[in-house]
Amino acid sequence: MDQSFDDVWAECEDLFAQARQTLASLKEPQPAHLVQASVNALFRTTHTLKGMAGMLGFLSFSRAAHRLEDIFDLIRKGRLDATNALVDTLEAGVLTLESGMEELRRGRPEPEDYLHSLRRELGELEALALPAEGESQDLTAMLDLPQEVIKALSEYERTRVTALLLSGMPIHGAMVCLDFATFDERLRLLSQALGAQGELISTLPWEAPEGREGIAFLLMTACPVLALDGLPLLEAELFGTALLADPTRILAALNSSRSNQSGEAAGPEASVPPPTLPLLESSPSAPSGTPQPPPAQEVEILRLPAHRLEALEAQLMAVGQLRDTASLLLHRTGKAGGDRPLALMAQMEDGLLEVQKALLQMRMVKVESLFSRIEPIVKSLSRDTGKPVKLTFTGGDLELERSLLARLTEPFLHLVRNAVDHGLEPPEERIALGKNESGAMRISASQRGRNLRFDIRDDGRGFNLERIEARGIDLGLLKAGQPHSPERLHRLTLEPGFSTKDRASQLSGRGVGMDVVRSEIEALGGEIHLSSEARRGSLVRMSIPLSRAVVSCLKVRCAGLDFGIPLGSVMRVQAGPELRFGGDQVKVLGMSLPLESLQACLGLPEPQGQQAFVVLGQQGAAARSVAVALGVDEILGRGDLLLRSLPELAHAAGVMGGSAQEEGVLWVLDPEAMLGLAMDSLMRRVARV
Amino acid sequence: MNLLLSTLDLREVVVSAPVAPLPGRSRGIQGVVFYQGEFLPVLAWEDLPGCEGTLGATTAMAVLRPRLGLPVERVIGTITPPPEAWGDVDEKDDAGAWLGGVCRVAGLELRLVDPDRLIALLHRYREDR
Repeated sequence: MDQSFDDVWAECEDLFAQARQTLASLKEPQPAHLVQASVNALFRTTHTLKGMAGMLGFLSFSRAAHRLEDIFDLIRKGRLDATNALVDTLEAGVLTLESGMEELRRGRPEPEDYLHSLRRELGELEALALPAEGESQDLTAMLDLPQEVIKALSEYERTRVTALLLSGMPIHGAMVCLDFATFDERLRLLSQALGAQGELISTLPWEAPEGREGIAFLLMTACPVLALDGLPLLEAELFGTALLADPTRILAALNSSRSNQSGEAAGPEASVPPPTLPLLESSPSAPSGTPQPPPAQEVEILRLPAHRLEALEAQLMAVGQLRDTASLLLHRTGKAGGDRPLALMAQMEDGLLEVQKALLQMRMVKVESLFSRIEPIVKSLSRDTGKPVKLTFTGGDLELERSLLARLTEPFLHLVRNAVDHGLEPPEERIALGKNESGAMRISASQRGRNLRFDIRDDGRGFNLERIEARGIDLGLLKAGQPHSPERLHRLTLEPGFSTKDRASQLSGRGVGMDVVRSEIEALGGEIHLSSEARRGSLVRMSIPLSRAVVSCLKVRCAGLDFGIPLGSVMRVQAGPELRFGGDQVKVLGMSLPLESLQACLGLPEPQGQQAFVVLGQQGAAARSVAVALGVDEILGRGDLLLRSLPELAHAAGVMGGSAQEEGVLWVLDPEAMLGLAMDSLMRRVARV
Repeated sequence: MNLLLSTLDLREVVVSAPVAPLPGRSRGIQGVVFYQGEFLPVLAWEDLPGCEGTLGATTAMAVLRPRLGLPVERVIGTITPPPEAWGDVDEKDDAGAWLGGVCRVAGLELRLVDPDRLIALLHRYREDR
């Protein structure tokens, strides 16, 4: 792709991020004028995306963006009621386009219709819009047909579709492929037969199935049930039938929407009206004394090519090296110039660190940005599959590099689709199994050493290991008659071309297999592990290495070296006059914990007793899980540290990276590894005794 | 010991900076320095076979392309040795584990550091730990 498009991609990314944020804000209670401003902003965003896609020659993308733009236009003109269901659909649409943009960026071809999976919902939205002044209601958008086909319908056909749907009549389509030589006669006969069953609204040209000779038509007929027995069909002429529009669904939604807009009581069909955005309807009568949030302010966004940021970082490093040299010279000359030069140097160090952190922050995004992309997809899947899902996220405050976020989104979406589609059972099956009717999905992020760990857990049926084994044997990946461990079988699902489904489902089978998820994670230097328990659920665990991060740490000193302990793992800090030694027991937090000195854990000379200790626990774990008191020489305080990973040759046990400080390098400890090292050291003490 | 480093293997030579010792370091690496925004591992010569003597005060550090810092006492200069000056490392020489050859020029014996062998040796030390 031409490098000059980089700015365009970057702008598209920003536009999508803004759109997601604004859509999410629409679900929060806010005054009507802010809602209107948000909808206007979304209209402008989709309009810009449409134009940019057209400029790049992505016409299918442009069409899809245009469709969303039209819906935002209907909302801002008051012709469509902004319900939560509507916002969910639009969120799913925006996310679909965002994923599509990532694919385009990687050079993948455009699909025919980006919004195909949402066609029914979008059609309903378009049809539910109140007619513009001087126009009549048009429900043709509810037909499950491509946009261009709907646009080709005549005024009369549109009127009939609308009238028939409003009268409660379903509309069916029969796709036939007829011989060139006799098609006119055959079509006449079929039209007559269909006319006898109901009202033949239209005969539309249709695409013949691949490899089939002949001319194809779609016969759009309104009738309660399409009876194929009554049609004078020759063998192999019919190649498909479909319910094009279901009036019961339409009427309920339409009546509900109307009652929301008119304030009248809903009719019997509208017994379950879709939830409406709280303050869209309540804001006009909101009490005047109610405090209102300040109006959203426009934030100017500067777009910079990444290499300019890198150049700035390199220059900053050069300044840092100059500072180091100057600092060295100052220390060599002692205090000849007084304390002032050293104090100035320390100030310069603080300033440089702040600039470095600020630069790093520009590259970082919160993990919740990833989560915000997943939530609407899960909701949409839940609706489509009829499986209620209780979705929870933890660890959204952690940060990761923006470039990682873009690459993680697609694997994540595939994994959650898999979990909803294959993992979670339908509600009736769950109830029969004694489970909660709603499936639970928990997605968590945590920092583990140098890695960011993501867990996707569900309480569904787990992997079907027997089926995986059978499929593995079929594919020649496993030998029959040999035992295969659960680990091996789970890993097998990550092999290229492996699938236990004969036919990919519409949800998860989109050409992206688990092997692609694995290769994407491995390309990031990460790892993926699967595990599950039959009828209890599954866990997908991904670890992604971080090259740089800002970590909040407790700073301590030991053996003349400075260390940082990530605060997420610090359960307690305690200091007192009493000297403590490795192997002692300390009573803290209502527990008796073993104490080990940090020096002993790292293989440094043992101290002659320590007065301070830090209670380390497993991050995010229950109170009764592993904890140890880590003896330290001195507590220095806390701080946000710019963590850099160590090159492989310099890896040291228990250390996940370092942070450059004026006094030298501060080593940031890996809490999980430290727990293991402390336990090993304590065991050695016991063995020595 | 006089050493020879191929300029093709060399990133640059920088002024010696204090090395931050690694807590619980592995054999062969004394610590790290901050170099171009990243940590650079620094070789511990004394851990290498055939190099047991202590290193004098270092004035510079040669940064190899595979991102490894070699502290040196001083830089002698550059040379393009004639082909006939090259010889193999003595089989009994312990330093053969990380040398690529020996060059004898103007009465000096210059020992060529082989970065690939050196790094492979350091990785072996890490694995043996």
